[in-house]
Amino acid sequence: MTDPSPVVLVIDDEVQIRRFLRAGLELDGFVVQEAENGSDALRWVTMKPPDLIILDLGLPDMDGSEVLERLRAWSAVPLIVLSVRSNEAEKVRLLEAGADDYVVKPFGMAELLARAHAAMRRQVRGSAEEPVVKVGPLAIDLAARMVTISGERVVLTPKEYRLLQILAQHAGNVVTHQYLLKEVWGSPHVHDTHYLRIFVRKLRQKIETDPTQPQILMTELGIGYRLAIPETLGANAASMTAASS
Amino acid sequence: MQLAVVRRELRGVVLALLMVAVTTVIAYFLVNYFYLRRGSVLYLVPVLLAGWHLGFLPAMVAAIAGLLWSGYLFYSPDYSFVFFVAQPFEIINLVVFLVVAAVTSHLAISMKRQTELARRREREMSGLYTFSRRLAAAPSASDIYKGIEQHLANLTGRKAVLFLPGWHTSEPSDPNAAVPERVRVAISQIEKGATPESTFDDGTGNIWLVRPVSQKAPDFGVIAIDLGRPQVESVDGMREQIEELLSEAAANLERLDLAHAISEAKMRAETEQLREALIGSVSHELRTPLASILGAATVLRQSPIIEKDERLHSLAGVVRDEAERLNNDIQNLLDATRISRHQVKPRPEWIEPADIVNTTIDRRRRRLAGHNISIDMDSNLPFIYVDPVLTGQAFVQIVDNAAKYSPPGSTITVAAKRNGEEVELSVEDKGAGLTADEQSRVGERFFRAPRHSSTISGSGLGLWIAKAFVTANGGRLAAVSAGADLGTTVSLHLPLPAHPVEVSADD
Repeated sequence: MTDPSPVVLVIDDEVQIRRFLRAGLELDGFVVQEAENGSDALRWVTMKPPDLIILDLGLPDMDGSEVLERLRAWSAVPLIVLSVRSNEAEKVRLLEAGADDYVVKPFGMAELLARAHAAMRRQVRGSAEEPVVKVGPLAIDLAARMVTISGERVVLTPKEYRLLQILAQHAGNVVTHQYLLKEVWGSPHVHDTHYLRIFVRKLRQKIETDPTQPQILMTELGIGYRLAIPETLGANAASMTAASS
Repeated sequence: MQLAVVRRELRGVVLALLMVAVTTVIAYFLVNYFYLRRGSVLYLVPVLLAGWHLGFLPAMVAAIAGLLWSGYLFYSPDYSFVFFVAQPFEIINLVVFLVVAAVTSHLAISMKRQTELARRREREMSGLYTFSRRLAAAPSASDIYKGIEQHLANLTGRKAVLFLPGWHTSEPSDPNAAVPERVRVAISQIEKGATPESTFDDGTGNIWLVRPVSQKAPDFGVIAIDLGRPQVESVDGMREQIEELLSEAAANLERLDLAHAISEAKMRAETEQLREALIGSVSHELRTPLASILGAATVLRQSPIIEKDERLHSLAGVVRDEAERLNNDIQNLLDATRISRHQVKPRPEWIEPADIVNTTIDRRRRRLAGHNISIDMDSNLPFIYVDPVLTGQAFVQIVDNAAKYSPPGSTITVAAKRNGEEVELSVEDKGAGLTADEQSRVGERFFRAPRHSSTISGSGLGLWIAKAFVTANGGRLAAVSAGADLGTTVSLHLPLPAHPVEVSADD
């Protein structure tokens, strides 16, 4: 990241959580702002829009999901949710409401940073400066609509390509079943998860070395799919990811 | 006693003769004024009456006397006791009379006995009925005991005293409860199980019956009943009645005991609920600081200063790993609470079976790092229709279990196979194995093999949770092992849906 240090707003009422987040984020090169409740956070965002928001769901004055909704009414800032509830339905709802990704407390710093950087990359990709997403041997050229493995072209059906394209646009972040179904098959099919299972299996057979042990197209049980962290991440974050796993 | 019998019989004979005399007077009157010719049947009346009221001997005396008088009145031409038998059929007539008299008197006597017996039964039954109604309404065991004592006292007209276990230590304050020394000795013997019951004379001529309230439940106590001075032959009858009464009482005591047990179970359930609630809230409170500890440990571990020092770096790793372990334990407690509260509600969807295995291995990468992981999965497994999260958590539990009970460096084989109408996800380790007894108890809540209790920490919740989660999804958990230290294979068996997912050609 050559840009001036990105600004992250941490919204959490627990001071100890804010402290370690600050340390971890600053070590990663972020400038950290803190807010301990929803209304402070919303004020902050309007005054000085950050490059990233980390939002804890349990806030004293309003529900985290309300903060998310109000924010998303006018801002597309990358946003990661911190959730204590391992309730999959709620995670899906938050993702549908516009969160880029989530981590479940307790979490390691590397996991959060990986999600955060992936979410921030989506912004960059949106501006079409980097049309190629690379994951291991797989390269997805979003501009040329071409997929290659180790340089060799892979033939995909239009729906398979569409599926991979959506995942590539969110590379490193989870994409919900519902979103994929709606984007690929249309609104009437948002609950037909078996369509997805069939297509993902076919897609894995084409892009994975061992389709039974995928390294690229990862499953988030009960939530959706995630394209593994692409190699175009910032060097600093990548090193932290490696260290933690 | 013999004398009394003779006197009673004698009195019967006199009365019978008197009745015959009265009959004769009436017969005489009838013969003279109404010209009655063959009236010997009249003498059956005193025979019957004597048989009913006085017994067999007076009845037979009445029959013979009646025969003589009827001979005098109806068969002798000159009113004499010298029989003049005109024709042979008249002899037959007389014999028939005697036989009929004997038979009817016998019938009368047995009928009377039957009637008396029926009446007595009725009295006893109604007594027993009142008693049992009283017992059924008795709210406590002590009310039943009081009822037994009172009813038995009414029955014998004497007294009955109940001795509950431990009566030796507390002397009864009630003076009515005092019993002769011999009775106390008998009670102690019955309590020791030396004799089932005993009947004896207490030295003053009173007969006592001492027996347990219930032969099956010694806790219900021993009862001593003063029978007074009954005739020998009536003791058995009384014993029978007492037996009936006590069995009724014992049944009611059992019922009350059951009720008591139920109330205890209820209390236990409430305690359990409280405990669950406590676990729930404590676990929740623990998680917040734990999130800070774990997060801070990961930040420290990756900070440039600590990364340079291998000792500090690994120390930070220890903090992180232990916090993670603690978090897992808390998660198990929360899951256990959820299961106990029946809050496990599966939300099934179509799942790629391999996803469950892969996600689990990914999630447990660090914990499995010391083991050699071998993955054996069929390609093109049929999709299953289960709750992905619950099934995933169940699988995490069996993987954790394998990692915990097998030595570092050993191989853990994770497999996903189709097996008939099931998909089987299994984890095979080369570790501690299971003895036959352990194998039968795997999946029991809090069950841990005693041989591991000092070496491997654990709560005994893991496989119980796995079992509950997989069962909620219509599957089952199985654990097999060739024996101690011969490794274990734990598997989740998930049924294939009756209607497999249709493959859409819509490319």
